[in-house]
Amino acid sequence: MNSHCKGEMPIDTENDIVMARKYVREAAVALGFGVTDVTRIVTATSELTRNIYVYAGSGIIRWHTINGNADGLELIFEDHGPGIADVSLALKPGYTTSKGLGMGLPGSKRLMDEMEVLSEIGKGTTIRIRKWLKR
Amino acid sequence: MVNGNISVIKIRDILLVTVPSDPDDGTISELQEQVLSSMERHSAKGLILDISTVETIDSFFARTVSETVKMVSLMGGLTVLSGMRASVAITTTQLGLSLDKTLTALDVDRAMELLSDALNRSEGRT
Repeated sequence: MNSHCKGEMPIDTENDIVMARKYVREAAVALGFGVTDVTRIVTATSELTRNIYVYAGSGIIRWHTINGNADGLELIFEDHGPGIADVSLALKPGYTTSKGLGMGLPGSKRLMDEMEVLSEIGKGTTIRIRKWLKR
Repeated sequence: MVNGNISVIKIRDILLVTVPSDPDDGTISELQEQVLSSMERHSAKGLILDISTVETIDSFFARTVSETVKMVSLMGGLTVLSGMRASVAITTTQLGLSLDKTLTALDVDRAMELLSDALNRSEGRT
């Protein structure tokens, strides 16, 4: 299977978190991920789009399939919010600057195969996550 | 609001609440309020939160559920979370969410059994 899909949507409202979950679920299912991996990907999407909504107010999510030696799905979460002061601290379970559980970033990392966080204070944050199709 | 309909059904002393399949944050918060006011209105002793149609539980959802369990307990009620899908159980645990002190059951049937037993015991019957 060499299916390809890509898409993007802005995150501006709380309901956009629900819509992002819906679109990403459709993309992951279409790509052939099993139900547990679909749930992992959608849950990470929910955490990271909520982070955009809570911390930056607005941003954008993009997703596309990766076709190569292994096929996978990459998702990019981008905002121009306040940025993360200490990325390694933000990746520690239980650390939060809001009223959250501090599970969003470290948890999403555990659910995915790869995660990269780029952040600059005052400029914004870009997070890339990837999940590979196992076959 | 997506999937905004929250159904609360009273069976004897127990409230059965079916959580919509993909609720937004507002719906989850509303569910908490509706559950608590129903507990009060019906003088219910137990609550079953059925999540069998729920496909994703993220940290906000889990936090609201465990909060609700605590609040219901403050009102003298006992909560059973029922019907968690296998994929959701795997994901919730790996995400690092804790629903430690929550009673759980595979489906509503078993949740009813668990609650009736617990309520009978607390009333001194066997």
